[in-house]
Amino acid sequence: MRAHLLVGSLVIAFLASVSLLAAQQKSESPKPETMALASNVASNTRTDSATNSKAVTSAKSTDALAKTSATVKNEPMYDRIEGEKRFRANCGRCHQAPHKFPPREAATIVRHMRVRATITDEDMRLILKYMTQ
Amino acid sequence: MATQPSRKCKKGEAIALPCMALLLGFMVWSAPVLAQASTDTSAPPIDSGLDFDSVKPVPLFTTGMGFIVPFEGGQPHLGPLISPVILAPLGSKWLIESRDTFESDLATPPGSNAFRGTVEKEVDYLQLDYIASPYATITVGRFLTPFGIYNERLYPIWIRDLQSDPLILPLGVGPSNAGTGAMVRGGFSLNPKVTLNYATYFSTLVTNETLSSARMAGMRAGIFLPGPRLEIGGSYQRLLQDDRSNSFGFHFAWQLPPVPLDIRAEYARTSQGSGYWLESAYRLTQVPVHRDFMSRIQLVGRMQEYYTGTDLDQAILPLNTKMFEFGLNYYLHDDLRFVSSFGRQFAQDDNENVWTIGLTYRFVLPMGHGEMH
Repeated sequence: MRAHLLVGSLVIAFLASVSLLAAQQKSESPKPETMALASNVASNTRTDSATNSKAVTSAKSTDALAKTSATVKNEPMYDRIEGEKRFRANCGRCHQAPHKFPPREAATIVRHMRVRATITDEDMRLILKYMTQ
Repeated sequence: MATQPSRKCKKGEAIALPCMALLLGFMVWSAPVLAQASTDTSAPPIDSGLDFDSVKPVPLFTTGMGFIVPFEGGQPHLGPLISPVILAPLGSKWLIESRDTFESDLATPPGSNAFRGTVEKEVDYLQLDYIASPYATITVGRFLTPFGIYNERLYPIWIRDLQSDPLILPLGVGPSNAGTGAMVRGGFSLNPKVTLNYATYFSTLVTNETLSSARMAGMRAGIFLPGPRLEIGGSYQRLLQDDRSNSFGFHFAWQLPPVPLDIRAEYARTSQGSGYWLESAYRLTQVPVHRDFMSRIQLVGRMQEYYTGTDLDQAILPLNTKMFEFGLNYYLHDDLRFVSSFGRQFAQDDNENVWTIGLTYRFVLPMGHGEMH
């Protein structure tokens, strides 16, 4: 019993450390690929360059990138790229190559997988778009 | 379902081999037909400007089926299986889902050449889900016990890479791998690089053979890093009956982003024993020659060990056991694949080879046209 508690404590401590580490990484500067994606998104917009510049420099995380893409009105492109990433990261853990489904079928499937695989609300929305586009 | 090395065939009602051949024929015939249906170009065109929040999900009927032929210690078994799944969304926050399994393990009784066995029926889960918030979903009914990852995520034969169950699968999941009661679960991003998922549940005692479950409570939590596609987590369960024992488990899953390699592992420790399994699966999509053929091949390897607990009466296997398996799967279609594996099981004075060949197949059919709000 004592060993169980010890092992359990170690796991909780490890999980907490990983969370802390990842939280610290949040404040780091974006990776080049993130910047490239942000630039790519920005370069395909019809908004003025001042808006783009402001948007790119503020893209320090995926959340920021999401806001950026929404700002610059190129949401479908961002959603497609991000949706594929989320699909491969979440669904790809158990399922093979991605399927395309009609939206109403895909909506049911992602709701089922939200429960089964405990994917997040945001992941569900992006994966739904990716599966149907 | 799948081949459990220690499983013994139940004698009784005979099932005719032609039925199995019919099932096999149906699987091969219907694969391209249903695959075409699921990607039917006559379906409503997908508009990139579609408001996805307004899409009303349609009920789905999906079925996984397989025909697995394991050879355990040289003895052939026939393992047909059909597992229908129904998903019925209600409104924007509710979902009724169920999965049943009809399977048989046919073997030749001593002195006979005919394969005999019984059809076993089981309700894997029948649950009502309510998406209460972006962070929590409430589930009531019969649900798969969230202990480790194999039982919930990898168990269906159309998902698992090796058709035999891990030796430690029965540990921590209760009788028939399910609980009956309530569960709260969810997943949310702590930040863009870390996602937390959790499940906590309470199950009550049910003695009905088809719906059996134990009185127990437990939880599972995991952290998923989307960047490296790495998930680690732990499970805890308290049995609230009999010896009121505690169970612990840990799981690990890693999909290396640059290569199509999956690495998964689980460890469990309960009063019934303890053990682990470690599995890797590699899809040959990066082989530059014969790309179309090679990309359909998947190589799988698994190493596992089981150790009996202090109470041998509760042990799921009578002896400490080791087992390794190598598998080769060939995807004829996304949902239709040929599976094969070879393994050797080591236990004191009870070593044996375990071969498996078979086909697995799955299709999805909408039950209605759905509509837009």
